[in-house]
Amino acid sequence: MADTMAAPAKVAITLTVNGEQRTGQVEPRTLLVHFLREGLGLTGAHVGCDTSQCGSCVVELNGASVKSCTVLAVQADGAEVLTIEGLGRDGAYHPIQEGFWEKHGLQCGYCTPGMIMSAYGLLKRNPDPSEDEIRHALDGNLCRCTGYQNIVRSIQYAAQLMKDGPTAPVATSAD
Amino acid sequence: MGMLTLGHRRAGMPPAPRDVVGTSPPRPDALAKVTGAARYPGDLSRPGQLHLWAVLAGRPHARILGVDARPALAHPGVVAVLTAADVPRNRFGLIEDDQPVLAEGVVRWVGERVALVAAETREAAATGARLVEVTYEDLPVVADPATALAPGTPLVQPGRPDGNLLTEVRIRRGDAAGALAGAATVLEATFTTTWQEHAFLQPEAGVAWVEDDGRVVVETAGQWAHDDRREVASTLGLPDEQVVIRYAAIGGAFGGREDLTVQPLLALAAWTLRRPVALVWDRTESMLGHPKRHPMSIRARWGVDGDGRIRGVEADLTADAGAYASTSQEVVKAATLLLTGAYRVPNVALHGRAVLTNNVPTGAFRGFGAPQAQFAAESMVARLAEAIGDDPVAFRQRNLYREGDLEPTGRPLPAGVGALATLEACAAEARRRFGIGWDGLGRVPGASSAPRQAGEAVPSAGTDGIARKRPRRGVGIACGIKNLGYSFGFPERATATVELYGRGEVERATVRIGAADVGQGVHLALRQIAADGLRLPLAAVALVADDSAEAPDAGSASASRLTLVAGRAVHDAVAAARAKWPETDDERVEATVTYRPPATTPLDPITGEGTPNYCYGYAAQAVEVEVDPATGVVRVLGVVSAHDVGRAINPRAIEGQVEGGVAQALGYALLEDFRMADGFVLTRTWDDYLLPTALDVPDEIVPLVLETADPNGPFGARGMAELPLVPFLPAVAAAIHDAVGVWLTDQPFTPERVQFALDDSPGTSARVRTPSPATSSDDGS
Repeated sequence: MADTMAAPAKVAITLTVNGEQRTGQVEPRTLLVHFLREGLGLTGAHVGCDTSQCGSCVVELNGASVKSCTVLAVQADGAEVLTIEGLGRDGAYHPIQEGFWEKHGLQCGYCTPGMIMSAYGLLKRNPDPSEDEIRHALDGNLCRCTGYQNIVRSIQYAAQLMKDGPTAPVATSAD
Repeated sequence: MGMLTLGHRRAGMPPAPRDVVGTSPPRPDALAKVTGAARYPGDLSRPGQLHLWAVLAGRPHARILGVDARPALAHPGVVAVLTAADVPRNRFGLIEDDQPVLAEGVVRWVGERVALVAAETREAAATGARLVEVTYEDLPVVADPATALAPGTPLVQPGRPDGNLLTEVRIRRGDAAGALAGAATVLEATFTTTWQEHAFLQPEAGVAWVEDDGRVVVETAGQWAHDDRREVASTLGLPDEQVVIRYAAIGGAFGGREDLTVQPLLALAAWTLRRPVALVWDRTESMLGHPKRHPMSIRARWGVDGDGRIRGVEADLTADAGAYASTSQEVVKAATLLLTGAYRVPNVALHGRAVLTNNVPTGAFRGFGAPQAQFAAESMVARLAEAIGDDPVAFRQRNLYREGDLEPTGRPLPAGVGALATLEACAAEARRRFGIGWDGLGRVPGASSAPRQAGEAVPSAGTDGIARKRPRRGVGIACGIKNLGYSFGFPERATATVELYGRGEVERATVRIGAADVGQGVHLALRQIAADGLRLPLAAVALVADDSAEAPDAGSASASRLTLVAGRAVHDAVAAARAKWPETDDERVEATVTYRPPATTPLDPITGEGTPNYCYGYAAQAVEVEVDPATGVVRVLGVVSAHDVGRAINPRAIEGQVEGGVAQALGYALLEDFRMADGFVLTRTWDDYLLPTALDVPDEIVPLVLETADPNGPFGARGMAELPLVPFLPAVAAAIHDAVGVWLTDQPFTPERVQFALDDSPGTSARVRTPSPATSSDDGS
């Protein structure tokens, strides 16, 4: 019985996380979110549901927003990953972070990193989204505290800020 | 906003001086939360820690014949398997300690913890938990309250004085039976609700270790650090002071963290094994593992006089308490008291029961019995208004509580009765915002955005299948009342310590108060109260709140009480410290104040007479819905939510509480269908248990804040956080009725239930119901 439950062999992976090259040894079954959290100590991506409903674990993988609980770490081998920890630069906050601060876009804050990363993906695709487009973009992210109103306002605020601010760092991961 | 440069804020830059009472500075905790730096319990680790995994019963009622830990202990990495025999004092509970830390001889619900595996890795702990061999002999499952109370049913907890009847409440005033016999119009109906899961985003987790001085530290999330400490210390047989509870960032609570879950497991393992330990529950463990909102069945009979005044109410409530007491006794008392809502009723006979079953235990959830009770009360009020041809607002205006009115318990209401003011503000705002409303005599002609004209009958499937497919709009309004603070004689107090520092002038302050910020923003509100009293900028006021050894007891983050009670303690401690300041040359003064609000009393066991509460919050909500009769889907289009908060310490935080509360209420009304069958939980993940998304919540939620000063709260503030959950369900029921002519009586209002109700409605007369002069019985479907 113990044999069948022995840990599978580990696989070496190398990926770029928040602009830095990182390596790790992971079991093939390890999810990206667990590698980020436990392997790299980046606990900003949260685990909320285990069934890919809540979106607390959203990160950017090769330029696309993904739920890092639905990606195996080995699938991220060679990839570029941007997490909430890499969003701000040089001691400054990204406009979306600024928006969540300014517009009271959080309460308990557990969903916030995933919300911000989903919004980041949205604003890259669509810099001037309507309220309806924002709500559709957040459909894979659950919040139990805010009722979403201030999250929508935060993203609208950020979109305006990014239009007004020429130096806003929108595409950190593509650096 | 002058500090913004190209939309970027320098980290560490002090906030602008917009931090006194009545303003809305950004939340200081937001900085860590938007960068991913905030540490929640599942983010914590300690050097050399063991990982824990709890073995859950997985069956609702069984005798434990044996626990064989040897296969688990043989697994590489597994260090220990703890069972009931390892717990020094194997009992805990918020109100009564009827629950074991680890099951002893019997399991009474599926989420009961049976054994605890400790291992060097999380994977080994998980595997070890699967390898623990527990031998059970299944026992008959007590699956619902009716079965539980039937003669011959097995006892969930043998040895209790009243069998499976956990508690019973009676409140009597006047002569309800006589009043109903003499009333001009009497209606009767039965309402049911199901469990609601808190679904806070952060599952239960934490770390624990033993300090060199022998103190056990548990770092986790919760709602009352000092009571967690009391309960944990009791399970280990230690004095309270030898246990320290620290709160990491708390990922939501809503009542669901009032009961202990992982805390005694963490403490037990750290204390027994003398190693740091970590435990993280997954979502299913969370769904099984903490108490839910009570399912209730409520039968109500209401009667009005010929002049449209409520004359009498008889109501009977049965709640499923699940396998252990948790706070069920208190919830059922609160719910029974509120079976008449915020209405003056001279003759009442109210009866409430909580019944033990082998279902998941039920306890605190935002609203604490008020949402269920007022689903019934407000639905009855709406139906009575309709039955006598009255307007729903006018009927309420005539019957709502006024200042000085008596409660069902026979004593005058606490001062500050905002029932009428919130209703009238809500109705006016609903009309202004949504073009919907009531003029006090009838619906405003043409004011509704509904396509249907007044008086137009609603076609049923049988008579007009095509018309039935057209989505229809409707509006509904309801009121709500909820106690703020503890009730029925439960000791109510909060202690704050304020330290002032400076040379000559007060330059900075530290406030110590053990109040849990579960996301609602109370830490900022408490700092604003202190900053205002000290005329200091917010940045000069530090708060120490998250350590039971470093801050005094504030009581729990529950009953919407912290702003009122903890806020008043801070307010008074600030005043006491300031009074000392001129009398000393020291560069530090300190004052500690315990605030105790006016006393409440237990209810007389026969009559229910007493002073149940010292403060109430009042609210009213108007809801516009669109109902698709073809699918039964109900969409909420707009909400006005009016609240009397006494004084808004931080208006934006209050608006956030309203918006978030409305979203939770929307889930409760339409989506969240927690199901159990024969003691098993069917909704074990968020695949099965639907939560509102950004697309389910309407674009327009209008929070309306009234400020009628409370006599006790700081700056007149009272609580409000639970109120958005109270009127919403009956307001949606009224809106659905307005749209398609059927009254729904079973929560949640799923598409299936809407369809069934439409199918059952008697043709075109569904909406234009002729009231019977005598009793018309309508028990719902």
